Amino acid sequence: MRSTRQSSSKGGRKKRRFTTSIREQTQCRFCREGTKYVDYKDVETLQKLLTHRGKIFSRKRSGNCAGCQRKVKTAIKRARFMSLLPFAS
Amino acid sequence: METAVKRMYEGLFLVDSGEAAANWQAVNGAIEKILSRSEADIVSMKKWDERRLAYDIGRKSRGTYILVYFNCDPRRVGAIERDVQLSETIVRVMILRTDKMSPEDIARPTPAMVMEQDEAAAKARMEADADRRATEAESQEAAVSGEDEFVDTGEEEDIADEA
Repeated sequence: MRSTRQSSSKGGRKKRRFTTSIREQTQCRFCREGTKYVDYKDVETLQKLLTHRGKIFSRKRSGNCAGCQRKVKTAIKRARFMSLLPFAS
Repeated sequence: METAVKRMYEGLFLVDSGEAAANWQAVNGAIEKILSRSEADIVSMKKWDERRLAYDIGRKSRGTYILVYFNCDPRRVGAIERDVQLSETIVRVMILRTDKMSPEDIARPTPAMVMEQDEAAAKARMEADADRRATEAESQEAAVSGEDEFVDTGEEEDIADEA
């Protein structure tokens, strides 16, 4: 079991090293700026985290950390209720 | 008897643009009336923005947002929301607790204020440009007329010489 795991990690190591070399940002965009609260009225920022159809980008796509993605989710849902952002289009 | 603890809240009221443009005082009055019914102390009240809605609400496609900061008893926030639902002038409201809001955050310019400032600045710039152009044109005219006079005198001199 151990050997297989090692071999698989060996196989994946090259890939992982490749991805880490590409990735320059180690923190998400909100952590970098030190924002503690994502405002639902800041439509310009939230718009960048939506697809053109109004769906929320995944964490993988947006690069947000788990906490910030949750804050963004709440903010977008509040903005949708106030008709600042679309539910779907 | 328990004293009522008031907390700071931020309320964003959505009203119809046409109604807000036609009767701004009445719309403000309606919001103030609803808040005063729940004994809320208004800290600041300003127009946040006037924009196209992301989706139509009651066949309306444009809306005016009014941002209000107020201190209110937490138990009466529900009453405010209920009053808004019964009101015909206010379409929607979002009330959130903002205890950690500093006076700078409250005084931060809204998109509507920023737009007004930009427009005023653009107007001032246009006027300044127009003034500058006018003065330039005047000075050019003066220069041209000066040249004309010079040319005229030259011609006259020529004529005088010929004579």
